[in-house]
Amino acid sequence: MIELKKFSYWYPGTEEPALQRISLDISEGEFVGIVGANGAGKSTLCYALSGFVPHFYNGESEGQLTFNGQDMAALDLGQLAGQVGLVFQNPFNQISGARFTVREEIAFGLENLGLPRSEMHARIDEALDLVNIQDLADRSPFSVSGGQQQRIAIASILAMQPRVLVLDEPTSQLDPDGTRDVFTALSKLVSTRKITVILAEHKLEWLATFCDRVIALGGGKLRAEGTPQEVLSSEQMLRLGIGRTQYSEAAARLLRTKKLPVTLEQAKKALK
Amino acid sequence: MRGGSIYIERTSGLHRLHPLTKVALTALCFASAAALPSLAWLLALFVGLLLPLAIWGRLTAAFLKSCLLVVGPFVISLTIIQGFFSGGETVLFRLGRFAFTQEGLLAGLTFAARLLVALGGTLLLMQSTPQAQLMQALTERGFPPRLAYVVLTAIQIFPSFQDRAQVIIDAQQARGLELQSGLLSRVRLLLPMVGPLILGSVMDVSERAMALEARAFSSPAPKTSLHSLADSPSQRILRWLLVLAAAALLAWRLWSALQ
Amino acid sequence: MNLRAEGVSFRYPSGVLALDGVSLDIPSGQLLAILGENGAGKTTLVKLFNGLLRPAQGSVHIGDWDTAQHSPAALASRVGFLFQNPDDQLFERTLAREVAYGPRNLGASEAEVAHRVSRALKLVGLQDMADAHPYDLPAPQRKLLALAATIAMDTPILVLDEPTIGQDELGCRAISRILTDLHAMGRTLMMISHDMDFCAEHAERLVVMLNGKIHLDGSPAEVLSQTKKLDEAEVAPPQLVRLAQALKMRATPLTVDEFVDEYKQWRKKKNK
Repeated sequence: MIELKKFSYWYPGTEEPALQRISLDISEGEFVGIVGANGAGKSTLCYALSGFVPHFYNGESEGQLTFNGQDMAALDLGQLAGQVGLVFQNPFNQISGARFTVREEIAFGLENLGLPRSEMHARIDEALDLVNIQDLADRSPFSVSGGQQQRIAIASILAMQPRVLVLDEPTSQLDPDGTRDVFTALSKLVSTRKITVILAEHKLEWLATFCDRVIALGGGKLRAEGTPQEVLSSEQMLRLGIGRTQYSEAAARLLRTKKLPVTLEQAKKALK
Repeated sequence: MRGGSIYIERTSGLHRLHPLTKVALTALCFASAAALPSLAWLLALFVGLLLPLAIWGRLTAAFLKSCLLVVGPFVISLTIIQGFFSGGETVLFRLGRFAFTQEGLLAGLTFAARLLVALGGTLLLMQSTPQAQLMQALTERGFPPRLAYVVLTAIQIFPSFQDRAQVIIDAQQARGLELQSGLLSRVRLLLPMVGPLILGSVMDVSERAMALEARAFSSPAPKTSLHSLADSPSQRILRWLLVLAAAALLAWRLWSALQ
Repeated sequence: MNLRAEGVSFRYPSGVLALDGVSLDIPSGQLLAILGENGAGKTTLVKLFNGLLRPAQGSVHIGDWDTAQHSPAALASRVGFLFQNPDDQLFERTLAREVAYGPRNLGASEAEVAHRVSRALKLVGLQDMADAHPYDLPAPQRKLLALAATIAMDTPILVLDEPTIGQDELGCRAISRILTDLHAMGRTLMMISHDMDFCAEHAERLVVMLNGKIHLDGSPAEVLSQTKKLDEAEVAPPQLVRLAQALKMRATPLTVDEFVDEYKQWRKKKNK
């Protein structure tokens, strides 16, 4: 669905590439996690996968970046907005501020797409339902908690019915409750809607529990790729400044296996 | 809601009127405020038209309170200034060598009544119309959507700006910044206070711009709206009548001034 | 310097009773973490310590000072405060000037200010960036800068609101090292955090709040073994404790080392 071939990218006026010769193939319905230390290129990769690089940021690129076989650079952002959605770290910055209720806020993107009214209502109801915030529909988007705001942001993007949802550290400003809400909503999307979800995240235990595949970045390069367990349990994670779950750390000291556990379930099984 | 928005949610006929009808009514109020010749006329308009509309909109208490809060101080200051300084024959009382005259009092009250009528019209519009609806009505008549967006966000984001300003003051106090009255300490407060507020907002701008793009803000498709604004032929006629009345009032005033 | 809160209650103008008869004694030099879900009263409590809020009932003493009798600016010489978002306080042109702001407000001599600035920047590892603009740093490093600015005020007590939020593994390790150093210097450290793994590993004492009251208070091992009470406060135990519970080990390991020891003993017993 989205394919990168030896893709490199330089932000305007920089010498060092933010992404270096990345090759990656993301297929439909996958739940992909992206890990990496701060500055490893997670955000830039998110922007590339959603078309904001090269459309929003200029800068130089090399290699190929295609969406459904079409060159991403040839599609314009307006066209892409209905295909690929991007959710950011800070919930507050994503609330348009031009609408007064959650329902109207979700409608904002649909109004911009020029959808007829009846379809808007149907899509809004569905989006509210998907992230489980029906009860917030008539509240002001500014009067709710951070976790709820982030779910409003996700619903606003989902209502535009993208086939790919890219999220750049959506839970980093949230408390454990908010984090759980967001992950629950995402896993429901993947399982019921076959939407492709790509998620950059530091919270390894959550990633390991939900993702099909994990990609590790370091210094703008792709360093590892595979199942959560393969990638997140490896010692390389320590060198890349990503760290490991404490399950992996404890098991590394106790077990002589290459396949260390990364989740509570795996650890329980391995140490029983 | 605090801060920017003064809209008050109610179910009423006034709320259901098309926003432009209420804009036309406000225009009439401004024209009346400028053109009506006497205190009696102004008060009659307020009591005979604006107050009933406020009652119809179930906004009576809030409407009167806002009127009092804004116009009250003017009534006092205007009557004092006009009463003492605008001259006149009928002296009501004296303070030292200053005479307070009935003519001055009347002039002050008339001026305050003009404010009251203009303000009353604006309040009826703003308290009964969500800004989003007003902007929608205007953009449907050719007002630029980007400008409408800026106006709306300015109204909405203002309260969160206030919240952030409070956090910044807390943070700088915790770094030993003494909050005292006095010009010097106010000046000392300015940079630590305004600096983070502006820098933070500038940092947010790029993310905000991207988030807007993610919502197809620059999509070339003609925009639609979630809510339809109910309108009717009778309202359209009413709007024209209101605008005509406003224009007629102003013309009459101009004509009588030229006489 | 001791900190003592006695029967403290606080109600916000909105009518919410945020603190309800809280008493807390914090001896000099303790490293303490305050836990609890959002709205439990954590932030309200610590804001009473530096006078940003005043108790409606009860009293707060910092050493021999009653906070009711001192302005926040005066209390700033005894209690330093790191806010969650560094961008709420940074405004100077260089890192060095930013760090100097607090000590200067407290009336330190220029020589003393210079000394404290270089020491604080060194402690957080930003000494080579002293002349850079704060916004040349990425967000996670700006947090370290704000921490340096707090440290430079040389207060006997430091309050840190969510020190690890938004930090990657390397950032967490840096903060862990800084806390250890400050602790060794004898400073009283109090952190509010949702990062349970971090709190369990570093704090000497955990205070769990619920509905404006102190729900649990004790050593990490004592507090974290109270599964049911933690559950009531919606506080999830750290990974290692959850693993030990899943294995029914009857232990509350706080670090990987402790887990490894406990696990080996448990295995031995089990094999007998």
